[in-house]
Amino acid sequence: MRQATREYSFDWMLWATFHAASKLKKGTEKEYRSVLNYIPYFRGIVENVLKLGEPGELFVKMCERYLDNLVHVHERGRKNAITTFCFSPTIFYAMDITPVCMEVMTAFMTLTYKRGTAEFLDYCNEVGFTETSCSSQRGSLGAYLAGVGTDIDMIITDTPGVCDTNANAFSFAAAYLNKPFFQLDMPPVLTGERSNEYHRADYRALISFLEEQTGKKLDIDRLREVLAEYEKQDELINELEDLYRLVPNPLPVPFSLFLYASRFLFAGMKECTELLESMLRSGRENAERGISGLSGGSEKLRAFFCYIDHYTQNLHLWEMLDSLGICYAGNILSRYWAPDAPYVKEFQMQEAAYTIDTATVDTMIDSLALINSRMPMVKSIRGPYDAPNMWLEDTLSLAKMYRVDFIVYNGTPGCRNTWGMLKPFARDTEKAGFPTYIMYADAFDDRVQSWEATRERFEEFLSVRGLLG
Amino acid sequence: MREALREAAVVINNSFVRSWKAGGKQIVGYTCSYVPDEIFHAAGILPYRIRGFGAEETTIGDTYFGPFICSLPKCMLQLIGQGDFDFLDGAVITPGCDSMRRLDDCWRKAGEDYPGIVPGFFFHFGVPHKCTDYTVKWFAEEIRRLIDAVEHYFSLRITEEGLKASIRVYNRGRALLEELEELRIMSEPPFSGTDELAVILAGSAVPRDEYNEMLQEFIEESRSRAGIDGKRRLMLVGSANDDVELIRLIEGDKALVVADNLCFGSRFHLDLVSEEGDPVIALAKRYLSKNECPRMYGQYRARLDILKENIQRAGVEGVILQNIRFCDLHGAENGLFERDLEATGIPCMRIEREYGPLVETGRMKMRIDAFLERIEQRKETA
Amino acid sequence: MIVAGCDVGSLTSKAVLMKDGRILGDAVIRSSAKPWESAEAVMQRALPENVSREDIGYCVGTGYGREKIPFVNEVVTEIACHGKGAQWLVRTARTVIDIGGQDCKVMRLDTDGTMMKFVTNDKCASGTGRFLEVMARVLGVALDELGDMSARSRNPVTFANACTVWVQADVIQHLNDGIPREDIAAGINNAMASRIAILVNAIGVERDVCMTGGVAKNNGVIAALDKLLGIRMRRIRRYDPQLVGAIGAALFAAEKAGGGVI
Repeated sequence: MRQATREYSFDWMLWATFHAASKLKKGTEKEYRSVLNYIPYFRGIVENVLKLGEPGELFVKMCERYLDNLVHVHERGRKNAITTFCFSPTIFYAMDITPVCMEVMTAFMTLTYKRGTAEFLDYCNEVGFTETSCSSQRGSLGAYLAGVGTDIDMIITDTPGVCDTNANAFSFAAAYLNKPFFQLDMPPVLTGERSNEYHRADYRALISFLEEQTGKKLDIDRLREVLAEYEKQDELINELEDLYRLVPNPLPVPFSLFLYASRFLFAGMKECTELLESMLRSGRENAERGISGLSGGSEKLRAFFCYIDHYTQNLHLWEMLDSLGICYAGNILSRYWAPDAPYVKEFQMQEAAYTIDTATVDTMIDSLALINSRMPMVKSIRGPYDAPNMWLEDTLSLAKMYRVDFIVYNGTPGCRNTWGMLKPFARDTEKAGFPTYIMYADAFDDRVQSWEATRERFEEFLSVRGLLG
Repeated sequence: MREALREAAVVINNSFVRSWKAGGKQIVGYTCSYVPDEIFHAAGILPYRIRGFGAEETTIGDTYFGPFICSLPKCMLQLIGQGDFDFLDGAVITPGCDSMRRLDDCWRKAGEDYPGIVPGFFFHFGVPHKCTDYTVKWFAEEIRRLIDAVEHYFSLRITEEGLKASIRVYNRGRALLEELEELRIMSEPPFSGTDELAVILAGSAVPRDEYNEMLQEFIEESRSRAGIDGKRRLMLVGSANDDVELIRLIEGDKALVVADNLCFGSRFHLDLVSEEGDPVIALAKRYLSKNECPRMYGQYRARLDILKENIQRAGVEGVILQNIRFCDLHGAENGLFERDLEATGIPCMRIEREYGPLVETGRMKMRIDAFLERIEQRKETA
Repeated sequence: MIVAGCDVGSLTSKAVLMKDGRILGDAVIRSSAKPWESAEAVMQRALPENVSREDIGYCVGTGYGREKIPFVNEVVTEIACHGKGAQWLVRTARTVIDIGGQDCKVMRLDTDGTMMKFVTNDKCASGTGRFLEVMARVLGVALDELGDMSARSRNPVTFANACTVWVQADVIQHLNDGIPREDIAAGINNAMASRIAILVNAIGVERDVCMTGGVAKNNGVIAALDKLLGIRMRRIRRYDPQLVGAIGAALFAAEKAGGGVI
């Protein structure tokens, strides 16, 4: 690790970056344009986000807020918890714990910095962690292992049974840094009384753990508040997901990122609600006028990413889709399985959805357990991929509902889970009539396959399959 | 060692399997040490641990599994696709790890292209990743679910007494393996680690009653054999290995592998199942609480303590921490073991390898030789 | 007594003869497919004028082909030999980096030469001599020119990829784009250094650090590595760094022949 990297706390550095970015639109347009000349390395990401107007600004503000919380956590007398994006932070906010989501931290850095998290990825190797583990955790994990991040109070994961490489990274971090650790374990089946009971018992054990760590009991009123806000967010998301069905799709490509980022960062908190409301206003406006959310205005293709996006510098995946006239119907990260979600209603999947009942503390905890077990990936990549409620069913129903022209898989070489059955999966989606493209890139590490090569191969797929005239 | 025992270690369709099938009986394969063999024993079915040993290539494996996957399930699928496991009447797959878990998906899909390779009884057996009261309860229910499915499919009954009787048979085997372990850690052991692994492997591929007999025999004849002296004592830790040649390569003529924490190894026989009370609960408790697999997240310190205890007990002079390429679980935990064992003065060496035909033997041998030189030097300067 | 060390590697074979702690003769040749042939050839080549094979009292073999050399008295691994040889050449050497044609090894030595720890990389070609060979060929320069090109570079290319295959493609791309060869060479040397740095940091840097093996002659890699590790490595100047393994083997030969430690 370079000396310079060791000298700055990396999360402080990210916060300072987003903090500055959050002020960019406070002046005049002319002032904004001239500042861009002074930030040649950040210009790309800044422009790609802020050109979307209010939602873009709120997105930056939201990220800044998240980082502000975690950088000042101990000063403000709170505890923090390192966790995964698959874990809904709602419970943390209900218990006044500041979440630090590793994959989000990695993405913050890979989206903004030219070298991404390369040094931290390498540092993980140096301390004995396996190079083959998923880069999404490894990117920021390296920083925390090297002690150039904020001090951690506890480590929570809910991916055992869903994703080994993820759960393993958190387990390793806990052992390496000697921190309290809790895992929510997921059985291979999503629905049914046995699974519900298991999720419930496990979640209660989690709450006891959190109460022990913070020295405070779960505040029922606060929990009710947070869940009420969560439900409000569900309504907004349901409507946004409905808008996705329109042809042309009225939502700009990056909105899908904003949607799931807001959920991962602030589920149950108003920062998420504000952003969703703004996106909805913008989306409704476009829908009323029957226009496409693409900046070129002309929708040529509709894509569904069955897994995750590509998070290296400058939002270039979203940029590429936008410039090619491809609207984006989201990916595995943008679906939460609320009871009134359009796909739940469309395909009669009520059993797969969660329910929210704020009547008593017990029903609320049950709701949280269910919400958590339906989080992206936790829901659908836990059992055999072709089992009910699992990945294939989800992908095909969403692809049908959003009338997409093709499906794209993008992940990381660390994803043992998906690479373990991706070929049969793609065969099935092709059989179902969706041209399917498998990207061999690493969503968080351009050293595996450069963005240029990635883009080239993507475009080659489109032309070979006759998708783009 | 009886020839039949040695054969069972290196031949998939060994003589016991052949005569079992010839007798009109059934065999169910399983992929992970968390599956209670006792269930099948009680049903009169031979439980057979599926391996990938002997796969010469992974053309079939690679067709279904993607590129970034550990070679263990690929080799298993290769053999399955080639028809080498056609003698199975059933298969039980567990989420031992993600790569192994996906063997379920890939096997069934390969079955669409290679007719007849998917046995009629195909079961996905969930195993929790931690041991608490509610996970043991869930696991007990899962065991009952497996029992019900076996009864239903094979049209038989597994009674409580039958299960208890099987537990006793397996416990007898475990006690014998414990005796074997005592011989193995003598200052001059009567057999090499190579032979020890052969004996252990046979246990996963031979009917347990006969195996207990042969094991007893091997232990007795070992007691009267002269010990092997003058070797460096090593411990082998990490990813699954079912190839005796790997141990032979490590031992060479200078060392003995006197301890291990491997899946086909000591993990297979530690701890007895309680013979009191409800046998299903007893099985759930024993299988879920033994702790040598990094899939049980958050239990690193306990596993480290077990290693340290074994190192002490067996007089281990050096630890080889190996993992199969792409094995995240062992690949990460080995890093922690190295850090913590070296800190207590125990020489460690990490090796990454492929599962499958032993290639790169020259390179591996060089590293092992260098490691042994390091241990020698340490002894001289001590 | 005259002793000898014979290091048969996969790409090159080396031999060194010593007497009373001084080197009498040495040689480096390209290995053939048969290790015993390479060993014979290099030993012959290393003989100084007035010395014959019969004069050699004890010989230690090392390297990948060590078990196949018929005339050695015993074998020692190249890890131990490189450590031994390095510390003889650089008394204060505590961390020794040996980059061979096909793998990369780093070892930590104690003050008395005891091997404390070693770590190896054999995952792929990046970080081995093979990487530089391939790139030199693509670039159209001789391997031994590659190192000095770094110093003449004004604007080194940064290779995003770690993989030899991708870097090769990138080099071709850069050549086609008209990027100066020096800048590409510097980028190659830097990429090599960063792979090595990971391995070195994994074992921990303890000064003095030195490099052995063919890649040690590449000044570009050495300079880049110095920067990454934040120290100045001790250069081996007295002899060809490729000979270090054979020197170490000869030193072991002297010890084992009863001559004690040199």
